[in-house]
Amino acid sequence: MKSFRLAILIALVAAPAYAQAPLSVSTPAQQGIAWAEAAIKENPDRGQTYNDLALAYIRRVRETSDANYYDQAQTALQKSLQITPDNFEARKAEVVILLGRKEFAGALERATALNKKTPDDVLVYGLVADADIELGNYKKGERAAQWMLDMRPGNVPGLLRGARLRRVFGDAEGAMDFYNQAYQQTPPTQTEDLAWILTQMADLQDSIGNVDGAERLLRSALDRFPDYYLAIESLARLKIAERKAAEAVHLLRQRNEKFPTLGSEYALARALESAGQQAAADAAFAAFERAARQRIEEPENADVALVHYYLGRGKNPGEALRIARIEVARRHDVVSLDTYAWALSVNGHYREAQSEIGKALAVGVQDAALFYHAGAIAARMNDETSAASYLNKSLQLNPSSEIAAAAREELQKLAPASAASAAPRVLNNNAEQIRMAGR
Amino acid sequence: MIQRRVASVLLLCLVACSAPLRAQRSTEHNPTDQAIQSHELRVKMYPQDFAAYDGLGGAYLQKGRETGDADYYERAKVALRQSLDLQSSDFAASSAMTHMAIACMAEHRFAEALAWAQKALALGSGDPSPWAIVGDALADMGDYDAAAEAYARLQNPLASQEEKLGLSFERDSRLSSLELVAGHTEKAIELMRSAARTAIETHMTAENIAWSEYQLGEELFQVGDYADAEKAYLAALDQYPSYYRALGGLAKVRAARGKLDDAVEYYKRALAVVPFPEYAAALGDLYQKLQQPDQAQKEYELVEFIGHLSQVNREIHNRDLAFFYADHDIKLDQSLALARSELDIRRDIYTWDVLAWSLFKNGKLQEAADAISHALQPGTVDAQIFFHAGMIYERLGDVSVAKTFLHRALNLSPQFHVQHAETARVTLAGLEALEAQTGTATPSQ
Repeated sequence: MKSFRLAILIALVAAPAYAQAPLSVSTPAQQGIAWAEAAIKENPDRGQTYNDLALAYIRRVRETSDANYYDQAQTALQKSLQITPDNFEARKAEVVILLGRKEFAGALERATALNKKTPDDVLVYGLVADADIELGNYKKGERAAQWMLDMRPGNVPGLLRGARLRRVFGDAEGAMDFYNQAYQQTPPTQTEDLAWILTQMADLQDSIGNVDGAERLLRSALDRFPDYYLAIESLARLKIAERKAAEAVHLLRQRNEKFPTLGSEYALARALESAGQQAAADAAFAAFERAARQRIEEPENADVALVHYYLGRGKNPGEALRIARIEVARRHDVVSLDTYAWALSVNGHYREAQSEIGKALAVGVQDAALFYHAGAIAARMNDETSAASYLNKSLQLNPSSEIAAAAREELQKLAPASAASAAPRVLNNNAEQIRMAGR
Repeated sequence: MIQRRVASVLLLCLVACSAPLRAQRSTEHNPTDQAIQSHELRVKMYPQDFAAYDGLGGAYLQKGRETGDADYYERAKVALRQSLDLQSSDFAASSAMTHMAIACMAEHRFAEALAWAQKALALGSGDPSPWAIVGDALADMGDYDAAAEAYARLQNPLASQEEKLGLSFERDSRLSSLELVAGHTEKAIELMRSAARTAIETHMTAENIAWSEYQLGEELFQVGDYADAEKAYLAALDQYPSYYRALGGLAKVRAARGKLDDAVEYYKRALAVVPFPEYAAALGDLYQKLQQPDQAQKEYELVEFIGHLSQVNREIHNRDLAFFYADHDIKLDQSLALARSELDIRRDIYTWDVLAWSLFKNGKLQEAADAISHALQPGTVDAQIFFHAGMIYERLGDVSVAKTFLHRALNLSPQFHVQHAETARVTLAGLEALEAQTGTATPSQ
């Protein structure tokens, strides 16, 4: 916890004291677009400047959540490839677009091919790692991320992948360390990058119940990159956990003014419901359901949210399971596995559910919701000792999480002796490996 | 890959000094010339090799540093642009962007240098070296706190021991400058000694080691330790014979120690390597002191000629020319215009000092007092600034403050300038005589 606090402190203290004035009027991506366009005007026959333009558009997607910029990026890359056929940087950028569009299998295939072609390109390992992590191939993802850090110790993209893996492997402290290192290396001009890292740190703190720390980090993120939708979404989650649903509604309405995603629409619907605004919530859920259903078969979907909707308010567990099966056929990351397991459980397929949640738990992830699901599934299987262990772990990890009340209720249903059992901490070999990775 | 990074790290230490003008020394077997030839050949053979263009740009920068020929910075920028046209989005572009930042620093384009260094950092390559240039640019722009923050980031816990030493050199040498500005002279000198040791231990290029020794000499001279300053300048020359900065330093220290003929010879040697306006002005002042006005006039004419030789020179030597005009009571309006335009891009204490001095010489005393207060604000211990402050307050009639500053200048470095030290003494004596006459003696230092 000591290093957590230090990391938060450093992130909060290291303000961008010397961001230059011109940068405050446009975002890093907008600047990148302007620079690339000026360079193209000066030298329209240089392929690399179109690559720069494409990358700036891709950054703009992350700044705004407006996926239309991918089209512009793609157009720029086509131009680049016309000028310099099959140029490597354009091919890398194409993979970034595939990842952004959630076409993970395709991205992995392309990234792996690029990696074979140029095995000493650090960033290509990052693309491989991204695709593998999204698909749930954590071991492979770890290998790729480790290559990044071995080839160029301390590189920021490598640290960020490492942080993500450490978190998935249950090493929150190690993840925070990597995020902090990445943050320290990022110049103050890169306001969105800084805000993004701060938001990741905040989500991590939130996941372990440090709500105050998480909120400070998010406020700091919003100072650096005002109206940052990712930080606002995270802040709204905190507010819901704090039973301040009206604030969450306000935040999510603000966030959804521009380029709402299915995920942010679903979050608003839930916040409205928590705030007791039933009619508005009904309308929002209905709109979400309609839109999400249209994208079930698409790579860019809201299937996880839709499954949870049908398992809860939507009251259609059968449909939830159908969609969960589609999603888990595409990818077996911990979130998809957990969602699938929960859908199986709600549909009464407890043994299968236990098997699937076991796969998620085996990765090492420390997540209150996952532990709650594991506990509830174990309880349905009459394994009260395991149930109590997982439910206790959920509550120990984050006593203020959204599912804390449900976990307590489930725990109370167990026999007193089981409920009192302590949750053993399972050592995770993966976490140990990645902990050492960059040191 | 690691070897390339170390080379990059070492090259960064080049920028800590301002660059003079034009080479006159043949360097047929200079490693830098060999590097230029090799990279020129490579880019001809492989015109798509961005690393070769970057290498060429880096070699031109080194050449510019060694020779003082500003034209090399322009050549460097052309090569670096070609490198960045070929590769600007991968980690590999970090080196070219950092070199571009160095070139901009050498040309006193601080805002551009800052932008390039930040672009290099934004690639996230894991090499913290561009923070050095970020700090340098910020320091020149007068934001010393932010510069210190940037220098503090010159660390990489994951780096090899060799890289860590390279970073510690960059950090120590730069923090030394900041400590000097803050008036912490002992700490500054300690850091610079440490940087010089690191430069030797890590077998940096001869010129880099020489620069470290020279810089140590400059700091020692500033606190009036002429003997140790001389040793440091000589150590620099041992490393890199005919190093013009060390020759200029030796000339200055010999003049301070009363060896004016030696000083003349060293300035001549420095000028033979690089016609640097500061040296020509100092040599002219020495000739004046030696009662050789014709020789002095020739040197003074040279100052202006060099300063106006090219657009780049005008930008690089703005401050030198402004001082020169003010020191010699000529073209005072131009002196002030130059100082003011310099302040537009450079807001460090030395620019405030030259502005104060130019304002003083133009009779704008209150404005001069305001400007010198900016120069004094960080607590810098600098005899020249104290002298200027003393003269400004003397003219403003604040005898006590004037005496304090003049005392501080002379106590710190009794021969800080071949002419101004004497002026300080005469002025101080006049103030004390005045006090004795009027019986209004006030405690001074």
